[in-house]
Amino acid sequence: MTEHIRNFCIIAHIDHGKSTLADRLLEYTGTVQKRQMKEQLLDDLDLERQRGITIKARAVSMRLQLDGQAYELNLIDTPGHVDFHYEVSRSLACCEGALLLVDAFQGVEAQTVANAYAAMEHDLKIIPVINKIDLAYARPEEVAEEMHQTLGIDPDDCVKVSAKTGVGVDELVRSIVRLVPAPGGDAKGPLQAMVFDSSYDDYRGAITYIRMMNGTVRKGQKIRFLRAGSQHEIIELGQFVPGRKPCDELKVGQVGYLICNIKSLGDVHIGDTISTTGNDAAEPLPGYDRPKRMVYCGLFPSDGQDFSELREALERLAINDPSFEFEPETSDALGFGFRCGFLGLLHMEIVQQRLEQESDVDLVQTAPNVTYEIITKRGDTLTIHKPQDVPDSGDIEEFRQPIVRCNIVVPIEYIGAIMKLAQERRGIQRSQEYIGTQRAMLTYDIPLAEVIYDLHDKIKSATRGYGTLDYEMVGYEAADLCRLDILVNGNRVDALSVVCNKADADRRGRAVAKKLKAEIERHMFEVAVQAAIGSRVIARETVPAMRKNVTAKCYGGDITRKRKLLQKQKEGKKRMKAVGNVEISQKAFMAVLSGGEPEQ
Amino acid sequence: MGRETDPRCFGRAIETVALNSAEPPTEHVAEAVPGQPDFVWPTPRNAYVHVPFCRHRCGYCHFSVLPGRLDLAEPYLDALEAELRVLGSPRPVETLFIGGGTPTRLPPQQLGRLFDLLETALPLATGGELSVEANPEDITPDLVRLLADRGVNRISLGVQSFSAPKLRLLQRSHDRRSACDAVAMAAAKIGNVSIDLIFAVPGETPEAWRSDLATALELPITHLSTYSLTYEKGTEFWSRRSRGEWVTIAEEDDVSMYRDARQLCERAGLRQYEISNFACPGFRCRHNLAYWQGRGWYALGPGAAKFVNGYREVNHRSPTTYLRRLQEGRSPVAESERITPTQWACERAAFGVRMLDGIDLEEIRRDTGICVATLRGRAIRECVERGWLSVAGSHYRLTDAGLLMADGVATAFL
Ligand SMILES: Nc1nc2c(ncn2[C@@H]2O[C@H](COP(=O)(O)OP(=O)(O)OP(=O)(O)O)[C@@H](O)[C@H]2O)c(=O)[nH]1
Ligand SMILES: [Mg+2]
Repeated sequence: MTEHIRNFCIIAHIDHGKSTLADRLLEYTGTVQKRQMKEQLLDDLDLERQRGITIKARAVSMRLQLDGQAYELNLIDTPGHVDFHYEVSRSLACCEGALLLVDAFQGVEAQTVANAYAAMEHDLKIIPVINKIDLAYARPEEVAEEMHQTLGIDPDDCVKVSAKTGVGVDELVRSIVRLVPAPGGDAKGPLQAMVFDSSYDDYRGAITYIRMMNGTVRKGQKIRFLRAGSQHEIIELGQFVPGRKPCDELKVGQVGYLICNIKSLGDVHIGDTISTTGNDAAEPLPGYDRPKRMVYCGLFPSDGQDFSELREALERLAINDPSFEFEPETSDALGFGFRCGFLGLLHMEIVQQRLEQESDVDLVQTAPNVTYEIITKRGDTLTIHKPQDVPDSGDIEEFRQPIVRCNIVVPIEYIGAIMKLAQERRGIQRSQEYIGTQRAMLTYDIPLAEVIYDLHDKIKSATRGYGTLDYEMVGYEAADLCRLDILVNGNRVDALSVVCNKADADRRGRAVAKKLKAEIERHMFEVAVQAAIGSRVIARETVPAMRKNVTAKCYGGDITRKRKLLQKQKEGKKRMKAVGNVEISQKAFMAVLSGGEPEQ
Repeated sequence: MGRETDPRCFGRAIETVALNSAEPPTEHVAEAVPGQPDFVWPTPRNAYVHVPFCRHRCGYCHFSVLPGRLDLAEPYLDALEAELRVLGSPRPVETLFIGGGTPTRLPPQQLGRLFDLLETALPLATGGELSVEANPEDITPDLVRLLADRGVNRISLGVQSFSAPKLRLLQRSHDRRSACDAVAMAAAKIGNVSIDLIFAVPGETPEAWRSDLATALELPITHLSTYSLTYEKGTEFWSRRSRGEWVTIAEEDDVSMYRDARQLCERAGLRQYEISNFACPGFRCRHNLAYWQGRGWYALGPGAAKFVNGYREVNHRSPTTYLRRLQEGRSPVAESERITPTQWACERAAFGVRMLDGIDLEEIRRDTGICVATLRGRAIRECVERGWLSVAGSHYRLTDAGLLMADGVATAFL
């Protein structure tokens, strides 16, 4: 029954060519006609096209005729960026095989290793693929050797392709058919399907993405979500080709979608199991771990009146992106807003960009922070999502922060630079191994707070762009932390508080005060900026009062120019938040991130 | 995370079109304003002509100029003639301002042709104001005679200072003596003389500035414009300041110099009527008043900005591109923006408030159909509360404190 189905995903380090290879497979199988082809066809979200990266995993069903036999190939293209690793892990659970792509020039990188291990944990058949062999500097043999060394892959198993030119795609397709096991499962067994993703359609409501594990599901059938306990009638089902194509039934082993008149994505739980409504229902599948929110920040409307508009915008967004969460937050300084959790900084940036594009609310964002744990003197454990919630130091028994394991792949000449960087970030080295003869993978445990903001950029600049970083959560550890407060004209601005290492506090305090001085525009009065730990002021800067704001010359030719300039300034003001009577710009709220660098 | 230039944020549509096409020069005809069928844009009664020639470019100047290229005088006049032709019939004007650059750099013959062209296309109404800008070193008895003969009844001299080191710093080639002589000559023949002075140049003290002012106010002038040195992007002074070669003077000093100017002018009988302008009774510059009052005006020459039938248009800033376009029968316009009556109303308030007489929002409402007082109520109230604006009915005026914060007030109206 399932013997002619092959389910596989494409996994790789960012930019190694997954989506481009998917293009070639769509073309090879005739799923998409050549004239409808465009680069990275599956990256169809606006943001994906703007940024040239995949954000959301995409499933496609392809028909293949090979040596007189018809096959169904179900492919899932996954994102490479570490923030979206969650998308990879849930794709893995729907497949029997994985194409592990490695760029023939760049070789094994940090996410190559992370994704390969994830696929191995899921017992997937890995087909190693060396891509971009058309590149002038391609070094496929060396790369194959790197894969051997780091992942134990037999160099003879590597399929060499160019996703750009199509070279090697035929051989790759044959390997997929030959090597990826057909899905197991029982066609006659009770319906059991895994919900691996969902999306929202304005006209049809929630679209539920499923992988059939056992049995058959038909249009019009009544089904049950085992975990949610809800029952629905199937209005439409089908497969992605890559657009939705309805059919009458999906059978064991197939990948497709269901539409059931579900109004909210909140009612579709990823990792849930679908079965029949009767007593003969299948067992629930193990499901997925929930995605981990790595960073939090506050989002506030610049104009307090826009609060409910912001809430609506966030709700709309969360419908499409269940990995992001938000809850109302109140700040003395910023008023009513939301504390939002993200998978990482790129995810945060993307959510914010979508909010801007899809609603008219001007936002003020506070500096991102990680989640801390505090054991109080009374023995309670507090989970802290925002620095202003850190209690006074006298009440703290233990202050804990999240630690991540970082794999950093660099050419060997940069090992020293990376070690220095990791040490500055309070990293503890776990291991170091060579990848081929020229590169190494360094493994460090580093506080997440030291990683998220700019470690990636710092690695890139320390290695001329060659270094790559991947990280995963390992747990919480006690550290010597404190809350650094900022006072503006004597008033503590809660939204400007940060958590930092005690040893860094003086340096951070001075740097932040200086940066704030530069970011706070002059007012009609003098503005004092102070940094303090508890009641101890550690830095002070003053923004002098503005005496004059007038254009001397303003004649006919100046009117348009001047008007545009003034209007631009006015727009800038919209992004400001009045704290007491001091206006603080969006940029100033980010200023508290400065001072991570040791002084020269 | 740059997101500053999102046009949608302006809250109203702004259509700025960069014109680069092969379109022939045209004039915008009056178009109906949607939703306001009775609305008519004012017919321009003022005109500005930009003459790009100059001895050299001064370090603070950001205008469209062609230092030392008098060989282009005839081609320039040909281009201007082509641009004037677009007006079709003669357009009588109440004020005509010939600025630059330095219009008086044109040799007498070309200067004569310039006046010929303008007299035909933009005839000056009886009692009209005809201003010309000039540099002190260009002023000769012959020149002032020529200007007076051609009907020039107001001359604006770019004196800037009387102090030798300051003039050197400003890269001006006259001295105290020639400046005073120029004023005297112009006063004798033309009568109505205005001078420009710059203050707050690096190193200048309030005492030095007061002495410049005292010298100026002894002279037979009817009008004075005085500007705190502005560092415009793209000028030599701008880069000097950014490189840290120049230290700008302290803001307190700048403010006190401005206060001195206001005080000394007032004492000498030159009443302040705009942020940077002072005049004897009856001698305000009517041309510049038209800008601040939001009237329409024609403008010709490179980089010139006009406001005709609801369109704000700017000619190409590069004099050579300007010439080439007109030679090829194309439009010299580089930017064109159609503004709405709402924008017009707001701009009238924002720029009108620069005049010390202030603005009447009721009058603006009558002309435009737009009630700025309602539209910008909150921001206007803030300015009043801050003590920048005083109100009497629908009439708004900058206070003494507001004079120094005029851009803040303008922003409130925009
Ligand atoms: N020369 C060459 N370039 C390729 C090849 N395959 C992909 N590229 C280029 O590599 C870049 C990244 O390709 P994508 O397909 O977007 O990579 P990806 O792995 O899907 O990236 P993410 O989804 O963001 O992780 C694009 O500029 C492609 O054109 C290839 O075989 N040869
Ligand atoms: Mg991709």
